[in-house]
This record gives sequence, C-alpha cells and structure tokens, in this order.
Amino acid sequence: MKDLRHLYFFEKLLEDANNDLVREAKDSGLKCIASVCENAPEPLLNLPGTFSVRLRAPRTGSIDMGTYYLTSFLCEYTRALLERAIEGGFNFADCIISPDGCSMLNRCIENMELLRTVRKDGFFYEYMEIPMKADDNGLALYKLQCENHILKPLSRNFGIDVSDEAIRKSVAEHNKVCRLIREIGDYRKAADPRITGYEFHIITLATYVAPKSLILPYLEETASELKSREPDPKSHFRARVVLVGSEIDDVDMVRLIEDSGAYVCADRFCYGSLPGRDEIRLTDDEDALTQICRQYMYRGQCPRYMNQAKILGRREYVQSLCREYSADGVIYEQMKFCDPWAYERMVGTKVLRDEAGYPVLSIDRPYAVGSSGQIRTRVQAFVESVEIKKIQGGAR
Amino acid sequence: MGKKVGSEPLGSFYTKGKVRRRREWRGFKDTFYDYTRWLRIMGILATFIIKPRNIKAFFRYRWMANYLAVPMMVDRHTQGLRGSYLRIAHTEFDLVVADVAKLLDNLFKADRRIGNDTKLSAKAVLLDENEMTTFMMGFPTLKGLSRETPAVYVSVLLNQMAACHYIDVAQEFGLAGDVCPMPEAEAGVSIDDDFPVLGACAVQCNTTCDGSLMGNGVISRRLELEDGVPCFQLASPLRHREDDVQEYAAQEIRNCIAFIEEKTGAKWDWDYYFECAKRINESTRHRAEWLEMSKTDYPQVFGSNLALYTETNYMAICGKDPAFVEADRKVSQLAEKAYRNKEMAVKEYRHRAIVWGVQSHFYMDFLIWLQNCWGIVPLTDMLSMVSTKIISEDDKEQAIYDMAWLTENMIMRNRTHGGYKVLLDELWEFCEQFRADTVILWEHMSCKALVGMHGQFEEKAREKGIHLIWVTHDLFDPRVVSRQAIRDQINRYMRTVFREEPLDPSLEVLPDEHSW
Repeated sequence: MKDLRHLYFFEKLLEDANNDLVREAKDSGLKCIASVCENAPEPLLNLPGTFSVRLRAPRTGSIDMGTYYLTSFLCEYTRALLERAIEGGFNFADCIISPDGCSMLNRCIENMELLRTVRKDGFFYEYMEIPMKADDNGLALYKLQCENHILKPLSRNFGIDVSDEAIRKSVAEHNKVCRLIREIGDYRKAADPRITGYEFHIITLATYVAPKSLILPYLEETASELKSREPDPKSHFRARVVLVGSEIDDVDMVRLIEDSGAYVCADRFCYGSLPGRDEIRLTDDEDALTQICRQYMYRGQCPRYMNQAKILGRREYVQSLCREYSADGVIYEQMKFCDPWAYERMVGTKVLRDEAGYPVLSIDRPYAVGSSGQIRTRVQAFVESVEIKKIQGGAR
Repeated sequence: MGKKVGSEPLGSFYTKGKVRRRREWRGFKDTFYDYTRWLRIMGILATFIIKPRNIKAFFRYRWMANYLAVPMMVDRHTQGLRGSYLRIAHTEFDLVVADVAKLLDNLFKADRRIGNDTKLSAKAVLLDENEMTTFMMGFPTLKGLSRETPAVYVSVLLNQMAACHYIDVAQEFGLAGDVCPMPEAEAGVSIDDDFPVLGACAVQCNTTCDGSLMGNGVISRRLELEDGVPCFQLASPLRHREDDVQEYAAQEIRNCIAFIEEKTGAKWDWDYYFECAKRINESTRHRAEWLEMSKTDYPQVFGSNLALYTETNYMAICGKDPAFVEADRKVSQLAEKAYRNKEMAVKEYRHRAIVWGVQSHFYMDFLIWLQNCWGIVPLTDMLSMVSTKIISEDDKEQAIYDMAWLTENMIMRNRTHGGYKVLLDELWEFCEQFRADTVILWEHMSCKALVGMHGQFEEKAREKGIHLIWVTHDLFDPRVVSRQAIRDQINRYMRTVFREEPLDPSLEVLPDEHSW
C-alpha cells in the first residue's frame, strides 16, 4: 500500500514523551497534565487551558535506577517510567494525576514524588481511588474522586475552568478524536483492509500522548486519505488476530506480530482504541461529570474490576470483537510481573479457547519487545497452527 | 540441658527428616507443663479424627495430610521458651489450634461431598482468607467459615511444602510464575477442585493485593458458576487514610450485610454486634498494653507470641469468640508478672528489632530463631501493627464506619496500601518509639506493593542510622528461597556487619529442608 502521508509524523511523535505537539502546546501556555492509567477520565484532563499526556518511556535502554528503587520484581513499564523521570524526561509536565490503579504504578509515581524528580514550582501529585466494582456506590466514589483529585486541584493550582460547560466542551473535542479513530479503525473489519494494524496502533497511540486539538487536523487528513487508499492486491497476512491484554505503548509490538504473519484487526489493550476510543455520549438531563464517570466505569475492561458481571463481561467483550472484526484467533498478552493481567490472561485464554473455540496464543512480554526472537517464534508458530486449522477445516 | 534459658543447643534436635530428634528438656516444671499441653493438642486432634466424616475428609482433600504436623508446629514456636513465655505461647497457639479444628469440623459437616448437613450449609457464609470478618459481627445465628484458611494458610504453617502442589497446578493452568504464591495457591486449590463445597453465600474481598483480588475471580468462577454459591465482592478502598473514601467503604459494608441477609434470611442483630465490639475493644487494649511493654527493656509479648495470635484474633475472630478475650486476659496477666520480675526470653538481648514487610509463611518460627540464635528481639512486626482505634459500643451509624475502617485496615493491607506513609514513614516512627536499632525487612519477592519501596527503605535507613537487614523469600514456596537461605541472610549480616558470634551456634545452619 502507499505510505500514509502523516505516518512518519505520528511515529516521530512517539519517539519522545516531550514531543513536538506537546512542546507547541506548552509554548502556547497550556498546562500539561500527566497521567499513567486509562482510569483517569481523559476529558477531565483536557479542559480549556490544559492537555493530557499518558506517560511513556520511548526508546528505553537501561533501567538500572528504576530497578534499584522498584526492584526487578516490578513490571518494566513502571521501572522505565521511573528511570525516565529520574533522568528528567517528564519535566515538561505540570502535575501528575495517578489513579491507584495497580500497586506497581502507584509505587512508581510515589517514588517519583519521594525522589522529587520534577523540581518545579507548583508541580503537584494527586492520587485517585478508583472503584473496583461497577455499581452505584462505585459511581459515587468515582465522581467524588474526580472532583477532589482532578477538578479541584486544577482549579486551585492553575485557575482552570472546571464548570459543566467546560467539561462538555472537552468531551466534544474528545469525541471528535474518538470518531476519527473509530472511522480509521473500522477499515480493519474488511477482508482486505486498507490500513495495517501497525499503522493504526501508531495513530491511536499518538492520540494518547499529544494534545487533542493539535493532533485533530492530522487525524482528519489521515481519515480522508484512507477513503481512497487502495489495499494491496494480495495480502501477506495469513491470519487475523485480536490483541488483548495489558499496557502496550511499544511501537514494535504490533509490528512484530504483523511481521510474523498475523494481522492485528482489533486492539483491546490499555493504549488501544477498544474501548479507549469509544465516544462519550452526554445528555442534558444530568451533569457531564457523572455521565463521564458512569461511562468510564461501565465500559472499562480493566481486570481490577472484581464483580462477576464485569469479569464475565470482559471475556464476552473479547468474543464480540472476534466476531465483529472477523478474527481467526486471539493473542492474550501481559507485561511480565503484571498481577492483574496474569490472572486475566490465564482465565481469558481458557474461556476463549475452550468455551468460545478460538485459537489463543498466551504470552508474557517485556516492556520494549524490540525484535524478540522468542515472541516472534511463538507468533509464527501460532499463525501456522491457525492456518493448519483452516486447511483442515477445524473449528475456526 | 535444664531449666535455665539457653541451657542446651537447640540445633541439636534437628534431623534431616520431618521431625525432631526428641522433645526439649526445660526443667521439670516447664517440661511437665509443656507435655500436658502437648497432650491437650493430641486430644483436640483425637476428638477431631474420631468422627468418620473427618476421616473421609483426610482422604478426599490432599491438604488435610498437613494436619498431622500440628503438634510439631506448636513445638517449633515454643523452642527454647521457659516460664511465662512458654505459657503465653501455649495459651495462644493452643487456642488457635482448637479454633482451626472447630472450623474444619464445621466445613466438613456442611460439605456437600462429606457431611452434607444442608441445615448447617444454609447457615454458612464463606469468607475470604484475607478478610476482616466484621460484617459477621451482627449475625449470631450464622457461621462464617473460611475455606482458604485451613486449605492453604494454615497448611503452610504446618508443612513448608504444603502449597507447592497447588502453586504448580495454577502454573500448569497458565498462570504466570511471578505472582504472589498465596493467591496463586488458593487459585490452584480451586482449579484442582480441592475446596469443600458448601454455604448459602460467599463474601470475597480485595483486601491484600492485586494478586489476591484477581485470584478471587478464579475462585468465584467455580464457586458461583459451577457450585451455585452466590458471591459478594466487598471492595475496600485502597487509599484508606483518605477522608473521601470512607463513605464508599461504609456503603460497601451496608451492601454486604444486605446481601447476607438476602441470601441467608438472617437479620442483623445490633445487640450481638455491640457485644462483639466490646470484645474487640478489650482485645485492642490488651494488644496496646503488650506493645507498650515492648517499648521498655523487658518486652513480654513479642515475636511469634505476638504475630500469629494477632492475625487470628484481629482478623478472623473480630470479637465473635469470647475464648479469645479470656486468652488475652491470661496473656496480659502472665506478661505483667514477667515484666515485674524483669524476665527475659533468651539469655541476652543484643539488638532490638522491628520486623517489617510480609513474613515468610513457610518459616513462621523464624522470629523465635532470631532471638534464640542471635539475641535479636523481634519487638513487633508489620502485621501486628494494625488498628488500635477503639470502636463505638453503642452508636449504630458509627458502627458501620467502624466496620468499614477495620476492613480497610486489615492485616498487611493497612501497610501495603494507603500510600507510602503507612509503609515507609511510620516504620521509622515505630523504630523511635520502640528504640529499635535494627529493622529486619522481609522482602517478599512477589509482593509488588512492598518491593516497590525497596530503594526508599534503603536510603531512609542509611539516613537514620538504622541497620536494615533484607530477608528475601517467596512467601509460600521454599523451593525458591529455602529456610536456610533465609537464615543465611541474617547470619551473613550478623557476622560481617555486626561482627558477632551467635548466642546458640548450633542454630546457625540447620538441616531442615525436608522438615515439616
């Protein structure tokens, strides 16, 4: 296929946490709100006068200092973030708002605070409690936490307008991004898709780490370009897979899978678009904050939600993606040392394989997969097994 | 060998097998006392085993074989003790043994596979092992029973290898090997279908860690979807010191009580609740008194005598069993007397230590080894530094918040969650209060919340001039770090940094890799 015009630009954005668009936004006087987890509602971090950045540590090399503080038993994402913070890589941020999502991320941010990695006047840390069940009590908690740990601090420290009107404006912009990402992502449903999983991953990832208003024109142009993009006459992919699991902000992960012959037709992971880029639908009969929290809570696929309906819902969601995106199989992945996804991967693999009948590859992986020969070999073997099943006419 | 503390080398009892060479001679009076208590434990076991359903359970459940090691477990925790210390240990441990026997008896009586007593099963509420049982304090007609406690938790106390099979089962099923082995083993028991099946409903919780929370999902899958036992997930806030989470926590308690009422038909009884609350407060006062003594030169209730008993009384009993308050009173009497007489547990106290972190479960008698081998006094431990708040004995609205508070402040999670202050900053405050010169820091390698503060612990200890001794272990799995490897970490520090010789050199290296 012909190269996408802005792909290189998106790739460049992902090479540095303090990327061109972040710098541009900062130069224009906007405050940068850093976060580390999908459970911090994005529209609340992108109010007029602010923009959000989900922290990553691109081009991670040594994580020795991160390992000293966190030990080698914590996931590499948290160690890489801490390392980058110690190096001064997140000094562009004006605050960090962190949900107490998992123990490791929580400790990572606490270490940043204790080590005073960002020495800047007015810089602050906020820690949010996030509900572990989706119910009315959880919603009340979520709303209160967003008020106390996002809205009030932003208003108090930066004078940001946190009114219902401002929140609705932010949601409108957020939804524009979501609609474009969904439009682009829907091409993956086709038998001969006009976008690769890698390209889509890069575009989606960029929307989490760049100011929404500044990235929108590039997304619009890309969506428009894709309307007339011609797919390759003959696809080199031999199987279609849904990629499910923990945090992936590594640009190489999807590329490695696709280089091994599997087309990533759906992305169900943190930093992915499903459900992270679902629109937030607001009505006028209730305040925007409550509606945002409700939608984040009920649509969230984070394994820390512990009530049975959410547990079962997570596997049903993956099955529905398999159907919708015509997947041949599923790759369940987790970053090594991630407790929530270790269990979710185990049971999800069992359910999808034994009960839903999908071929499943279950892997754990490092933060930066690079050119991992082990994972490549496993994906290649998985693709072959899916192909053999197809040839032999087995179930899926 | 004799009456005097430290009169014989305790390491000489060890063989390369499961049991010791012989019982310890402690002088006539203490040996006779110890022997009568041993007979009592054997009596509890005999009373338990003569019931045919319990014999059946021995053959049905793999983990039941570990209970043959009960007398040995108590012996391990009384090594070298004399006088008041010995009596305090037996008062506590023997009661815990009787309580677990009662729990097992009830479990098997109601178990669909064994006793199948449907009436009892209809009154049983299954409880999570890592759960404060406050929400059962108003249900006098119901029985709160934990399956994981005897199957996994106690089993590992009895036999260091007890969880290995279940850990392997979970990993064969596809679980990553780097998660905490405790929820991993519990999930393994469930995967192996090796839990008794009973109960009108179950209450799970999120109290210890991410692994524990996620392991519950595995258990509820079999419990709720296959065995038809409805489950309630009690979500307790992680940042438990914050004011803005307390209403959520209280509502969870209200919802939990409503769930139990709905599933069992029982009604919440405030009179019974406040009766239990009074007992909790009395236990808290006793514990606070013991901790105060430990701040002096003559600590009396510390180490093993404090740790395991506090866990049981604070978390599992929650004032529901009057026998524990009676035991508290007896322990306080013994401790006060010993304090007046300036008694010491070992012949020399060389270092005053706070034991922090999550202890190695397969080596719970490590604390007594510390004092016997090196004269290190484990004044208190992280799991014993739980809430000392006095709860309301008459205000119904406040009581809901008290239950929520206690649930949030469950053993371990009150330190490993709630922000770094409760784990890091308060440790140094305790060091000052207890005049400790040493911190023994258990580094449970799979406990992410704890090891995530590794660097901070090191830097702060250095800054404050406190000796910090890391002791790495893998909680339930001695195949990763053995008991001797645990001891070696202390031995190395004592010899190279403190340049000391052990009080009892026979304990420095022990052939106990196959021992119960």
